[in-house]
Amino acid sequence: MRTLLAIIKRNIKLFFKDKGMFFTSLITPAILLVLYVTFLGDIYRDSFTANLPEGLALSEKLLDGLVGGQLISSILAVSCVTVAFCSNFLMVNDKALGTANDFRVSPVKPSLLALGYYIATLACTLIICFAAAALCLCYVAFVGFYMSLSDVLFLFLDIILLVLFGTALSSVINFFLSSQGQISAVGTIVSSGYGFICGAYMPISSFGEGLQKVISFLPGTYGTSLVRNHAMQGALAEMEAEGLPAEALGALKDAMDCNLYFFGNAVEIPVMYAILGGATALLLAVYVLLNKFKKVK
Amino acid sequence: MKNIIEIDRLSKSFGDVKAVKDLSFRVREGELFAFLGVNGAGKSTTINIMCGQLSKDGGTVTIDGNDTEKNAGAVKRGLGVVFQNSVLDSALSVYDNLVSRAALYGITGAAAKARIGELAALLGFGDFIKRPVGKLSGGQRRRIDIARALIHKPKILVLDEPTTGLDPQTRKTLWSVIANLRKTENMTVFLTTHYMEEAAEADYIVILDSGKIAAEGTPLELKNAYTEDYITLYGASEDDTRALGVKYELMRDAVKLSVPNTAKATELIVANPALFRDYEITKGKMDDVFLAVTGKKLGGDEK
Repeated sequence: MRTLLAIIKRNIKLFFKDKGMFFTSLITPAILLVLYVTFLGDIYRDSFTANLPEGLALSEKLLDGLVGGQLISSILAVSCVTVAFCSNFLMVNDKALGTANDFRVSPVKPSLLALGYYIATLACTLIICFAAAALCLCYVAFVGFYMSLSDVLFLFLDIILLVLFGTALSSVINFFLSSQGQISAVGTIVSSGYGFICGAYMPISSFGEGLQKVISFLPGTYGTSLVRNHAMQGALAEMEAEGLPAEALGALKDAMDCNLYFFGNAVEIPVMYAILGGATALLLAVYVLLNKFKKVK
Repeated sequence: MKNIIEIDRLSKSFGDVKAVKDLSFRVREGELFAFLGVNGAGKSTTINIMCGQLSKDGGTVTIDGNDTEKNAGAVKRGLGVVFQNSVLDSALSVYDNLVSRAALYGITGAAAKARIGELAALLGFGDFIKRPVGKLSGGQRRRIDIARALIHKPKILVLDEPTTGLDPQTRKTLWSVIANLRKTENMTVFLTTHYMEEAAEADYIVILDSGKIAAEGTPLELKNAYTEDYITLYGASEDDTRALGVKYELMRDAVKLSVPNTAKATELIVANPALFRDYEITKGKMDDVFLAVTGKKLGGDEK
């Protein structure tokens, strides 16, 4: 246990000592927030107002709160996974620099080293994502805060689950990488692509039917939807209270991916949690098995 | 003295390339063992198999009575490795590096602190223990590499070209520490080096060429077998030297005679007492041995 703690401590220290890596991870969600507010805020807002029934007047603050909820849910859903990939850079770097050889000449089991990377990445990613969540909540508080305490708590639970998932996914992928070039390439692909396939950059409902069906097999999609639900639930409830008809509310939830469908069947929130948790457990099992059965060449 | 490393009929291939072919040798406890060969001779492959970083295709490797594959944990606990290039974390301090590496052997807390203190005194890095490893000079970093290898008090220290690129003073300091460890801890040192003057200090030498043993023995045995002796003769004219009928080379203030061995040198001296008034006999160097055995100079040049 003490050996594991020492490995985790070493990995976390190295992450925070590498100021480039740390600040890049930390600043990425902040930059995303600024970009979203600047370029997408008005588009989201126009899209909402265009779908509202005629004659229904909602307050500016409520609309801003709803748009804010969508913006922060997109940022947090993407950050939890992309920051995990960034934090897990060390696992590949150790192989590239030969440090992994130093570990392999010691009697410590490869599975313990693997666990050390996983927990350290998890801790670093959680620190950054919680900081990002705090920043996002401050933004929503500024534009229009409609979240209840339980929404905030569930939002943090979603973040924890998504970080667990992102760390497990990055661990499995990074297991096969051994150079800094490879990890940079994977980082770039994940940063640019994950936001689209998880429905963070654009709602899945706006994609073609075939693509929607393909994406519905990806567990990250349900993570995004969970974050969306808890970030926007308060604002949506307030809209209902201000007179938005149930049908229009349902259409809005569909359009914003708060409701997700798997081959036409609605996926309830507990099922989303089960899918995300199950996918994380599966990825972790794969990671454990990869390390357990890794053969010396 | 018992054998602490026993390698029997070891073989390893990478695709069509046979890196190690039917290799067998012994290393005795407490000795300085030199493992020589040009780049690609199979040294690193053999070391990597010994350390459990590579699997073998055939043969057995036994270290301190433990098979490297069947009892890898015990083997690894008995080995300390200094790699060719430093593999420590350059962003972390010397202390943090050693604490994290000590934990790999189950040495934590006060025990780790005490061991690091001992090593700091032994290797003289107390002054820069809080400095990041990346900011150390080459010599300072090498001392930390050795400290890392010694953190768990191994029985065998594997040094893979440990002094390459170091200044003579640092090399001297490192060898003095290693000599002290051998004396006080009876530590076995398994050395690969490109410096023949370091190999000449070994108790036993194995020269590897293309994955096979090309020669082995003590430095004396190898010099006797593969090199000539030299007599440096002072105060003799070239005519007198020519009359001796041996190969010679004129130097600034002496003549260097080549003789097959020390017995022949003695015969020559006894037969010509008037000529041999001021002289010295030297054996060939390990460079000459290596060149004679492999046909190559260390560094990879063909003869």
